[in-house]
Amino acid sequence: MFKEKIEKLLGEGKVNIMIGYTESTGGQVRVFFTGLSQESNEFVFDDRCVQNLAVYVNKPEIKAIGKIGIVANLSTVKALLQLASESQIKDGQVIALAMNENNVIELDTFAKMEEFVANPHKSANDEATKKIQEILNMSREKRWEYWTNELSSCIKCYACRSACPMCYCTQCTVDCNQPQWIPVASHHQGNMEWHILRAMHLAGRCVGCGECSRACPVDIPISLLSFMLNDHIKDEFGQVAGTKATLDYALSSFKVEDKENFMR
Amino acid sequence: MATKKIKITNLPKLFEDLKKSGKTIIAPKQKGAKVYFAPVEHFDQVAPSYIQTVLSAKSVAFPRVEELFRYEIKEKEIIQKDNYTKIPEIVIFGLRPCDAASFEYMKEFFLKENPDVHFKKRMDNATLITVSCSESDESCFCTSVGLSPSSTKGSDIVLTNIGNGNMYVEVLTEKGDNIINANTSLFEESETIDKEPFVAKLTSRFDLNTVLEKIQTSYDNPEWQKNSYACIGCGACAFSCPTCSCFDIQDEQRENGGVRLRLWDTCGQQLFTVHASGHNPRHVQSQRWKHRILHKFKYSVDNLDMVSCVGCGRCIRVCPADMNIIEQIVNLVEV
Repeated sequence: MFKEKIEKLLGEGKVNIMIGYTESTGGQVRVFFTGLSQESNEFVFDDRCVQNLAVYVNKPEIKAIGKIGIVANLSTVKALLQLASESQIKDGQVIALAMNENNVIELDTFAKMEEFVANPHKSANDEATKKIQEILNMSREKRWEYWTNELSSCIKCYACRSACPMCYCTQCTVDCNQPQWIPVASHHQGNMEWHILRAMHLAGRCVGCGECSRACPVDIPISLLSFMLNDHIKDEFGQVAGTKATLDYALSSFKVEDKENFMR
Repeated sequence: MATKKIKITNLPKLFEDLKKSGKTIIAPKQKGAKVYFAPVEHFDQVAPSYIQTVLSAKSVAFPRVEELFRYEIKEKEIIQKDNYTKIPEIVIFGLRPCDAASFEYMKEFFLKENPDVHFKKRMDNATLITVSCSESDESCFCTSVGLSPSSTKGSDIVLTNIGNGNMYVEVLTEKGDNIINANTSLFEESETIDKEPFVAKLTSRFDLNTVLEKIQTSYDNPEWQKNSYACIGCGACAFSCPTCSCFDIQDEQRENGGVRLRLWDTCGQQLFTVHASGHNPRHVQSQRWKHRILHKFKYSVDNLDMVSCVGCGRCIRVCPADMNIIEQIVNLVEV
């Protein structure tokens, strides 16, 4: 199904590189890149294809190749929209191929991506929702203990940051040393501050793909922090990341009718 | 080399005695779905089955945060305090032969020129009791880099399960002797045994000599770029690697003094080579990925006469983008 579409896009020069998934070892799938149509038959797309490939859209070496085509699951499309709302990609710059029921559809405009995301999709995060409820039911002290314990295994490899399509800053706050905002060391304070900072920076921007948790070599369920903050942004401001290509992001815009008056 | 036998049922007693003599035991321990090195009190806390731990045992001698010294600032004077924390006597139990071999490289790196006092103290206080591998997975490739599932390189003692509830014991160093001599009642004499029938069979994935030769001229090979498109530039491979030894030095300063720390660092991250001017000689990910592989198979051979990859396969298992060093090396040799 994907094969014809991909060959057509590459053949017509609509895209110069196609990013998708291919069979890996041990029954896994991995990301696959091609600019050559004859290689496209290696693409696969099924339930195993969970990695959010939108992370590659802003990678300099891939961007340099030209127009990008991407085999997209729901999270990938959401990430593309969120990147659009943050002026990181232009309309028409990235073409997504997504599955709609049993058909491959070409999402070549933000409008089509918005429509795709607005359609009903089965929720993939039931387990995360359950875990969040469990954490919220803990006392404040227990919750702190829970995160202290989880974050103590962090080795600061920054796989969470690298795997996140929304962590696209060319210079991250943690890489800034004059002044140094966050301790570089992966000790208690350094780990706490890093993960709290990252959660705050992703509040209401996280598209919910869970890529940070999947990337973590030591299995810290770090995406839960972002998911929880997403819920707050939704409740307080009615905003959901990855739904619109234009967005006045709640935490960086000011309106005179805002109920908080600390800025006046 | 002395050879002995120990009944598996005697291992809990060995642990007890080691603890009694004041040693800290670090062993593979189950946490959630995975196995990590962690301090254990009793033998029953050791993971019953594991192919490999997620992170290596290097943190025993090269911790992810090492306090080098403290300092105090008094007016215009800086007073350095070698307030070195007491290093415990550590026994690493159950590391795999690849991990034990990795310490041979680490010792070469940290101790050859200008011996590193911190690493040396930690290494001197560590005894390595290796357990040969009875199984392997498709990420394992020790036999491709000149090691084996029962290699004794770097170990003080190697245990091999020879069935019928017995472990074959190879005592390789004085540190190993010390453990045996302090617990003689637990060990029986044994003749030399061929370990091969009892350990994992692992076919070699590439010919090391061919790789070492081909890699000499691989610098401008366009495959590096193609093969590294997937790399997202995190440090999971380097931080889980038993031989990645690069570090960063950071001062954590308060008003009247502070502490100087040594932290793990990785060439896979963009920040690693950024100059103060902002210029980055390795400005794209393919260059960083290439550097890491070249370091393992060329630079460390040039500088220390050792391949600095022990084939543990951790980088393959942890990579969020499923970068596979075996495939990449095979590809490099074929092209």
